[in-house]
Amino acid sequence: MTAWKETAARRRVLTILRSRPFLTVAIVAAVWIVASFVSRGFGAYGHLRYLVELAAVIGLVAAGQTFVVIAGGIDLSVAAIVTVSAVSLPLLSWQADPTGLTAVLAVLALTTTIGLVNGLGVALLRVHPMIMTLAMATFLQGLLIIIAGGSAVTAENPLVRWLGNARPAGIPAGVLLWVAVSVIVLAAMHATSFGARLFAMGANPLAATLSGVPFASTTLAVYGISGFTSGLAGVLVLGMNGQGYVGIGDPYLLASIAAVVLGGTSILGGLGTYAGTIPGAILLVTITALITVVNASPGWRSILFGSLILGLLLLSGREQARR
Amino acid sequence: MSTVASSRQAGALYWPVQLRRNVGVRGLFAVVMAFLVAYGFLFPGLLTASGFAKFTQSWFPLALVAMAQAILMLTGGISLAIGAMVSLGAVIAATTMTGPLGVAGGAAAVALTGIGIGGATGFIVVKLRLPAIVVTLAGSFIIGGAALLILPRPGGAIPEWLSDLLAGNTPAAFVLLLLIVLLWKLYLATPLGLSLYAAGENPVGAYRSGVPVDGARVAAYAISGLLCTGAGLFVAAQTGSGDPVIGTAFTLNSIAAAVLGGIGFLGGQGTMRGALAGSLLLSLMISVMFFLGFTPVAQYVAQGLIIIGAVAIPQFRKVQQ
Amino acid sequence: MVATAPLLAARGVSKSFFGNPVLRAVSIALQPGRVHALLGENGAGKSTLINLLSGALRPDGGAIEVDGRPVSRMTPAYAQQAGIAVVQQELSLTASLSIAENIGLGAYPRRFGLLDYPELAVRARAACDLVGLHEPLSIPVGHLSLGRRQMVEIAKALYRRPRVLILDEPTSSLSATETKVLTELLERLRGEGIAILYISHRLNEVMALCQHVTVLKDGACTADRSLEGTDASGLVRLMVGRDPGDLFPQWQASVSTSNAISVRNFSAGLMRDVDLDIRTGEVLGIGGLVGQGQEDLLLGLYGAIPARTASATVNGASGLPGGVPKANALGLAYVPADRKREGLHLIHSIISNMMLPAFARLPALKLRSRRAERETARGLAAQLGIRGDLDRPAQALSGGNQQKVALAKWMPHHPLALLLNDPTRGVDVETKREIYMMLRNFAAAGKAVVLLSSDTPELVHLCDRVAVVREGHIVAMLERGALSEEAIVSAAMGAEQRQVAA
Repeated sequence: MTAWKETAARRRVLTILRSRPFLTVAIVAAVWIVASFVSRGFGAYGHLRYLVELAAVIGLVAAGQTFVVIAGGIDLSVAAIVTVSAVSLPLLSWQADPTGLTAVLAVLALTTTIGLVNGLGVALLRVHPMIMTLAMATFLQGLLIIIAGGSAVTAENPLVRWLGNARPAGIPAGVLLWVAVSVIVLAAMHATSFGARLFAMGANPLAATLSGVPFASTTLAVYGISGFTSGLAGVLVLGMNGQGYVGIGDPYLLASIAAVVLGGTSILGGLGTYAGTIPGAILLVTITALITVVNASPGWRSILFGSLILGLLLLSGREQARR
Repeated sequence: MSTVASSRQAGALYWPVQLRRNVGVRGLFAVVMAFLVAYGFLFPGLLTASGFAKFTQSWFPLALVAMAQAILMLTGGISLAIGAMVSLGAVIAATTMTGPLGVAGGAAAVALTGIGIGGATGFIVVKLRLPAIVVTLAGSFIIGGAALLILPRPGGAIPEWLSDLLAGNTPAAFVLLLLIVLLWKLYLATPLGLSLYAAGENPVGAYRSGVPVDGARVAAYAISGLLCTGAGLFVAAQTGSGDPVIGTAFTLNSIAAAVLGGIGFLGGQGTMRGALAGSLLLSLMISVMFFLGFTPVAQYVAQGLIIIGAVAIPQFRKVQQ
Repeated sequence: MVATAPLLAARGVSKSFFGNPVLRAVSIALQPGRVHALLGENGAGKSTLINLLSGALRPDGGAIEVDGRPVSRMTPAYAQQAGIAVVQQELSLTASLSIAENIGLGAYPRRFGLLDYPELAVRARAACDLVGLHEPLSIPVGHLSLGRRQMVEIAKALYRRPRVLILDEPTSSLSATETKVLTELLERLRGEGIAILYISHRLNEVMALCQHVTVLKDGACTADRSLEGTDASGLVRLMVGRDPGDLFPQWQASVSTSNAISVRNFSAGLMRDVDLDIRTGEVLGIGGLVGQGQEDLLLGLYGAIPARTASATVNGASGLPGGVPKANALGLAYVPADRKREGLHLIHSIISNMMLPAFARLPALKLRSRRAERETARGLAAQLGIRGDLDRPAQALSGGNQQKVALAKWMPHHPLALLLNDPTRGVDVETKREIYMMLRNFAAAGKAVVLLSSDTPELVHLCDRVAVVREGHIVAMLERGALSEEAIVSAAMGAEQRQVAA
C-alpha cells in the first residue's frame, strides 16, 4: 500500500518536473544565475525586484490573454485596452473621492465593458476573434487620440500613485497585486467548473457545446476578464510611469502572447496553465534586460529578442499534431 | 469529329472555371464599383491621368500586402510580420539602389530577401510545426530589427528617375499591378499553385492525392515574402527614401483587406480577386475619408467599425438562416 | 507453371495507434482481373489496411509489395506512380475547386510547366463519362450533393488510369441508380485486367461482384479465400465470429404508454412538419438512407440547431428546450456520431471527458473536488469496463472505449431520454454488445431511448418501433411486429425503387 503511494507521489513529482511551467521556471533560474555571474549588479536584490515589478504588468495582461487562448480565441486588443485605461484614468480623477478608488473602479468597468463587446462580437456575431479584436484595437486607437490628443496626461490619483510606487514590507505594491491576481486566476482556471469549461471549449468547441457548455456566456466572460486584467495592467503601468500617453500599452500585445506561449499554453487552445505564463512573463522581462545589458543598438536588440523567443519555442514549444 | 467536339468543349474549361469563381465575390464587386462611381463623382480628378496615377499609387502597396496575406490564409496560415517585411524591403531599396549595386542589383536584393525570409518562415512553420502566428510574431522582431540595423533612422535614397517612374505622373503602378495579377494567374495555373487550395482546405485528402502539401505551403510563404518586400520597394520610391518602421500599419491592413475580400481563416476559402477587391475597398474608404476631411484619427474609428460590420453582417445572416 | 505476381500485396503487416494494435500480421494479395472483397466489422482495421496499401500510413512491421517486389518507403506519390488509386471513405476533395480540377489534383497534365486545361478537360470528361457524371466540369465540388461528390471521387481514381483500384465503401452514399452504374463499371474494369479491392457492408453487392474475399476481425485475418461456395450468412459468421442473432439482447415488450417527448409539426434543418411521440420505456429507432434529415431531428430536439414546432412536450415541460443547457436540464442527453469531432476532447484526460456535463451544469464558480471527480470517474469506468489509467488522454483509447466514455459521461445525471446518433459506428463487436445491453436496460428502467442508426440489423433487433425518414419526413413508423430489414430498406428507398420498377 505504502509502496503504491510512494510510486504515485514519485510519478506526480516526475510529472511536475517534466511539465512546461517547470521548464520555464528552470530556464528563468538558469538565466538569472548565469547573468548574475557575468554581469555585475544583475543578481542584486533590487534589480531582480525591479524585473519582477516590470513582469507584473505583462503578467496581468497575459492573465486575460491566457484565459482567452485556452478557450480557443486570441485577444489582439489588449494593448489598446491598456492604453485606454492609462489614458482615461487621469481624466476621470475627480476630487470628490480622496482615495481615488472610484475612478479606478470606473476605468476597470470601462475596460471590462470593452472586453465584453469583443466577446459579443465573437460569440453572437461569430466574427473571428482575430478580426474582432484587431478591429476593436483600431477603433480604440482612433478614439484615444480624439479623447487625449497627442499629449501625455499626468496621474494625480492617489491610489494609482501608491500602486506604482509603494513598497509595503519591501515588496512593490504592483507585485503584490500580481500575486493576488495570480492566486485568483489559478483558482478560477483549475479549481472551478468555469475553468474546466474553458479547456473543453478550447480543445473542441463543438463537443463542448453538445455536452451542454454554455458557449456564449463563457465566451463573453473570457473576453470580459481579458478586458478587466488589461485595464488593471493599465492602472499599474500608469502608476509606475506617472504619466499616461497614447501608445503606452503597445509593447504589451506581443509580450502577452509571447508570455502565454513561452509558458507552454497551446496557441490552438485547450491546453495550458497560467502557472506557465507567470514564469513566461518573467522570462520575457529577463531577456529584455539582458539585451539591454549587452548594450547593443535597437536593431540588434530587436533581433536578439525575436531570435531568443523563436529559439525557446523551437526548444520546447512544438505543437503536437492534433487528430 | 468527336475529337473536334471534345477539344472545343475542352477549350471551354478554363474560362467557365474562372467565371464561377466570381460567384462568391459578386456582391463585393458591386460594392466596390458603387464606391468607385461615387468616388469618381465626388472627385472627378480621378478620371484625369494624374488623378488616376495618384489613386492607383495609393492603392498599390495595400494591394500587394493584401495578396501576400491572402496567399498565406488560403493555405491555412497567417503572418503578423507583413509590416516588418515591408519596412525591410523599403530600407534595402533605399540603401542599395544609389550604391554600387545599382537599381537592378538593388531590386534583386529586395526580391531575394523577400523570398529568402519568406521561405525560411515557411520552413519553420511547416516543417518544424510551430504555430504560424507565434513564429511570425517573433519574426516581426527579427525582421524589424534587421531593418533598423540597415537604416537606424529614415534616410537613404531612391534614384529620382525611379521615383518619377513609379510614383510620378505615370500609370506605372497600375501596369505593375496588372502584371502581378497576370503572374498570379500564371502561378495559379501551375500544379503547385492550384495545390494551394487543396493544401489549405483538405490537407489530408490533398496529401493522399499525391499533392506536395508541404512544398505548396512553403512556396506560399516565399511568394508572400516577395510581395511584401516588393511593396516596400514601392513605398520607398513613393517617399524617395527609406524608413525602418514605415510598414507597421500594413500588418493590420493586410488582414483587414483579405478578410473584407472574403478570405477565410481556415484555409482554402476565398479568392485572390476578392482580396484585391477588399484592398481596393479599404483604399477607397481611406481616400474618401481623407477627402471628406476626416482626421486620421476619425479614420481609425470608422475603419474599425467598417471592418467589424463587413465581417459580421454576412455571418449574422448565415446564422439567421 | 508460375502464378502471376500480385499487382499489390501486403505481407504480414502490423500497425498500432497510441499503443492499440489495429492490424496484426495481415496479408492480402490483389491479382489482376479480380474483384477482391475486404470484409470486416467497423473497427476491424479495414481502413488502416487501405492506408497502408496506398502509402498514406507506414506499417510498423511487415512489407508492402508492388509487382512482387517489396517497397521500402511507400508514399501516396509512389503509389500513384505505381498505378494504385484509392477511393477513400472520407472524401479527398477540395470544395472550392471545380470538378475537373479536383479530378486531376496531384496528377495534372502540364504544358510548358502550366496546367494543361484543354487536356485536363478531355481526360476528366472521359473519367466522368465512365461514372455517369454529366454536370459541367467547371462546377465547384462544394455545390454538389454528397452522392455526386462520391462519384467525383471515383472519377478521380479512374482518371489516374489505375492498375489497382481500391474502393472503401463507395456505395454508402450512392442512390440505387448510381450503384448500378458503378457495378457495371467495375465489371468492365475487371475485364480489362485491373485489380480491384472492394470494401462494402452490403453483402449482396459483395456476393454479386466479387470473386475473392479477405475477412478481418479485430485486426487479424480470419479468412482469405474464393467466394465460390460461400453464402452471406457464412461471411457474417467469419466477420462477427458468432451468429448475428447473438449480438442482441433478448427483446421484451415494453408496456408503458406515456410519452417522454411529443412534438407536432416539428421542423429543423432538413426535417419538415414531423409529428412524433417518443414513449417512455421504449427504444425508438430512426432509420433511412444517409443524410435524409435524421440527424437534424435529433439535434433539433436537443436544441443544438434552431427548430420550430406547433406544440411540444419534453419530459413534462411544454415547448422545445431551444438550447443544449436547457435540454440537459430537462433530462435529455445526446451522444453524437462522430466521436472525434463532436463527442470527445481527445487531448484531455478520460476523467475530464467523463466529468464535462457536470462542469457544464454546475454553477460556474463552484469549486471542484478532484477527489470526488476521480471517485465518480472510477465508478463509471468500472461499470463500463474501461480499464487502465484514467489520466490518459482520451485519444489513447480504442474506438469502442471512446464510445463508452461518450455515453458514460451522461450517466451521473440520470437522463430521462437518450438521443443516440449511430453509437455503434466503428465500434468492435464486444463493445457493441455491451452498448446494446445498456440501451435495453435503460429502456427497461422506464427511460426513453432514441437510436439513430445506419446499421439496419441493429434497428430490427433492438428497437420497439422504427421511424423511417426520407427527404425530411417520417415516411413509415414500423411497429415491432412489422420490423424486418426488407421493410426498413423498402420504406427508406421508397420512391426510387418504384421508379426503377417502372
